[in-house]
Amino acid sequence: MSFDIVVYIALFLALYFEVFLLISFIDSRRSTATPLPDSKLPTVTIVVPCFNEEPGIARSIASLLALDYPKDKLSITIVDDGSTDNTYEIARAYTFDPRVTLIKKKNGGKHTALNLVLSNTKSEFIGCLDADSTVQSDALRHIITGFTDADVAAVTPGIIVREPRSTLQHIQNVEYRLSIFHRFALAAIGSVFITPGPFSFLRVSAVRAVGGWKHAHSTEDMEMGMRLQEHGYRIVNVPLARVETTTPATLRTLIRQRVRWTYGFLRNALDYRHMFGNPTYGNLGLIVLPTAVISIFSAILLATHVLWGLGNALQHILVRFSILGFHAPVAPSLFYVNTSVILLLSLASLASAITLIVIGSRLSGHRYPPLSTPVFLVLYGFIVPLWLTIAVVRAALNTGVKWR
Amino acid sequence: MAMIFMRTPKTTTYLTAFAITALVFATAFYISNYFNSKRVVNVRTTQDQIAIDILSLETQFDLLAEHSCKDIAENSVLSRELQPLGERLSYLENNRGANDEELLRLKRYYSLLEIKDILLIQKVAAKCKLKPVVILYFYSNTGDCKDCERQGYVLTALAEKYPTLRVYSFDYNLDLSALKTLTAIHDLDGELPALVIQGTPYYGFKSIEDMEKIAPALKKLPSSTSTKEKQ
Repeated sequence: MSFDIVVYIALFLALYFEVFLLISFIDSRRSTATPLPDSKLPTVTIVVPCFNEEPGIARSIASLLALDYPKDKLSITIVDDGSTDNTYEIARAYTFDPRVTLIKKKNGGKHTALNLVLSNTKSEFIGCLDADSTVQSDALRHIITGFTDADVAAVTPGIIVREPRSTLQHIQNVEYRLSIFHRFALAAIGSVFITPGPFSFLRVSAVRAVGGWKHAHSTEDMEMGMRLQEHGYRIVNVPLARVETTTPATLRTLIRQRVRWTYGFLRNALDYRHMFGNPTYGNLGLIVLPTAVISIFSAILLATHVLWGLGNALQHILVRFSILGFHAPVAPSLFYVNTSVILLLSLASLASAITLIVIGSRLSGHRYPPLSTPVFLVLYGFIVPLWLTIAVVRAALNTGVKWR
Repeated sequence: MAMIFMRTPKTTTYLTAFAITALVFATAFYISNYFNSKRVVNVRTTQDQIAIDILSLETQFDLLAEHSCKDIAENSVLSRELQPLGERLSYLENNRGANDEELLRLKRYYSLLEIKDILLIQKVAAKCKLKPVVILYFYSNTGDCKDCERQGYVLTALAEKYPTLRVYSFDYNLDLSALKTLTAIHDLDGELPALVIQGTPYYGFKSIEDMEKIAPALKKLPSSTSTKEKQ
């Protein structure tokens, strides 16, 4: 019974946070910003940091060159961070375009590539595009509409999955739609704390003021978001600025990516622990950061609870089968329909998740949620604890993580 | 579309979210309790019906010495209703916990009905010169009987194989004086699972074959396969 109470608390907190975001979303005042005329558009530098990005680099650069943005106001700097494959040669083929600059440097990590460009740029804004992502042609114009005030230090896009093929990629496709809602709702309460690698843009003066990018446990985009928040800057989200990103196709690569993210979050959370529960940082300190940490442990707990229950049920079925063979457990009757509180609450959470996926889809310009949504709803909760558990253990041991 | 955002916490948002979440939880608890109460009512109604049937049959039996044996022998509906009732109680036990007071009351009532049915069968058998095969099964669900689950399934299979077999299950730890008397009559020593087959106690797990060896009378009962063949 005591374990049931812990499960109830975990479910309550999870549902509370989703309801909180939903209310904030409904309550938010959205403005349809009119695109700026070309003459008023600011100068922008886009950095493409790459390390052995042979498969996707050409596609990424091509999509940047196709951006609908005044040519004299757009610079694209490709930083080959010590690749050992043909990344440099492929990128060099694009230097015919006057907007493109190619730099080759000794491998030092993504943050060093970004800082190298930051220290030299004369643009007003600096953005990043990971070499596994591509942008839609109107994405940059949408992004710029987010910089409404001087204290807006960063604008994040709507990230969608590029051509999902494997089951895991289809599951991630739904997950990213859900993330679109979360980012938008978090922005509504001033609590975005990540400036994702695919096509987030930052105000150069703000980034310089806070000291540029850091290694930050291999999650420099998360640390930068937290640092900007710490300094009182705002981070805005424009989901219609759509970026397509290539997601891991196999469980092994997905776990590796997510362990890095979760590990980075936990270690950064430790570094920025003074923000937790601190009203100075508004909703971010009071609810978002604490819930983000609690949700990691809740997800592990709830999945363990469900797997334990399924394991027990399976054991009973096997014992029964070994003696009775194929045999209906009891006469079919409404009497045996499961109406436990936990099941009903799980159904409520499921309904809430579907609602948020629908909203996320609409926000990013999709009419309907992905067809794989049912698969996501069934499997996602069991996959996530895999990397969460590994990340928690590694974060506790401070093992460090690598990009690849 | 851009966002004009609120960094400062709005107390109303926090409170509204809490109220809505609490409402969802309260609704889930209410719905779950509602259906659980319905189940308890369902079990209680069935038990009351069985009690009336037993009492009615007993009364008839006492009043009319010449009561037709055929009528009584054919009135096997009691045992047939007791079996699914036991399954329903077992389901409630899994969902509500073994220490639920309401459930314990229902189990006591159920055990009493079983004992009444055993006594009635004994009377009927004596009067009508029948030789019913009766198995009493004593189990525990407090985790001290690792073979009880398997033994329960074996008895289910046996009861299906021999539809006229009368199997009565009792929670050995149930606080019921009539049950204590029943265990004392059969000199049960507390080892579980315990089976009383044709009046003799046996301890430990027994397979269908074991029980058929112990009680050869079982094989003389009409089996479900032979019944099907006749049909």
